[in-house]
Amino acid sequence: MNAPPQPLTPAVFAILLALADGEKHGYAIMKEAALPEGGAIKLGPGTLYGTLDRLIRDALVGETGLTDDARRRYYRLTDLGHRALAAETARLTASLRTARSRTEARGARA
Amino acid sequence: MNRPNPVLLTLYGGALRLYPSRLRLLYQDQMLQTARDADAERDSTAFNFWLYLFTDLAKSLAKERLLMIRNQVLARPIFFYALVLALILTLWGFPAAMTLQGVMRGAADQPQIQMAQNYASAIASGKLAEDAIPTGHLDLATSLEPFTILYSADGKPLRSSGYLDEAVPTPPTGVFDYLRTHPTDKFTWQPRPGLRIAAVAQRIDGAKPGFILVGRSLTLVQQQENQLRRGTFITWFALMALLIGGSTLLNRVQSGSPTTAAQG
Repeated sequence: MNAPPQPLTPAVFAILLALADGEKHGYAIMKEAALPEGGAIKLGPGTLYGTLDRLIRDALVGETGLTDDARRRYYRLTDLGHRALAAETARLTASLRTARSRTEARGARA
Repeated sequence: MNRPNPVLLTLYGGALRLYPSRLRLLYQDQMLQTARDADAERDSTAFNFWLYLFTDLAKSLAKERLLMIRNQVLARPIFFYALVLALILTLWGFPAAMTLQGVMRGAADQPQIQMAQNYASAIASGKLAEDAIPTGHLDLATSLEPFTILYSADGKPLRSSGYLDEAVPTPPTGVFDYLRTHPTDKFTWQPRPGLRIAAVAQRIDGAKPGFILVGRSLTLVQQQENQLRRGTFITWFALMALLIGGSTLLNRVQSGSPTTAAQG
């Protein structure tokens, strides 16, 4: 089992984010990732399932075993996946806080 | 909801077969279903949508194939090292052989360079051509000895110790044109098909200007070059066979070792 590299790629972050509030099938993940609040990442099926495969291998995502049919399998975030998402969120939040304070400081000087 | 495009879906489904078999078995149906769902709900034009889907497929296909190769290489490091060694041997061996061939060809210009300089300076200093240039009647087709030909300033043969079919051969006029602006020229001369000569031509200055050409058959050098080429290829094939055989054997030994078997 490999720990995911930090920082996560935008596609990985968007997939983990999409699965954070519950299990979803591939197309639902794709739709959620494309939303502005989901990361606004356009994922094609090739990229999506290739990335999902690596996330399953790294034990960040797992299959639920539930299916509408064989063509729509559901995926969920594992504990490790939740932790990876939390770590990435903390990293991004810290960066965002710094960026915001520097931008505001520059605005105040101007 | 958009009407599905069966032709493009079929094409897409066909293209999914290009994925590595493991991924194809796991995700082919899901990918096709996702493409079908996305097509039904797309908000862009069909052209843009399918262009994006096929571009994504091509990109991920290349990525997955490269990852598969990387994993296979990592799983069999012996083959990887053998491949690297083979590449190094090939990239080093062939240029080395070509350099050696160049050195051999360069060496074939000796002693013509020295002879041409000596004759040209002797004639330029006033010595008669008859005295300066050796006499002889060498057949260029068979002789391996150096021969000398004296040409006038307009390129006509005046005196020669070498003949081809009982006539004095003349190099292409471009040689004389070059010598009018340069003191000397070294070149491979082919007076007739199959006969190659390492020739050195020198301009003669002074009271009786002209050109002197000293040449020697390249037959021996060609034989050596052929031997070198043959030797290089045989050595290369032997090394490659050794590498392939050795790495296969080592891989088998490692795969069959008790430690590996226990781990597997």
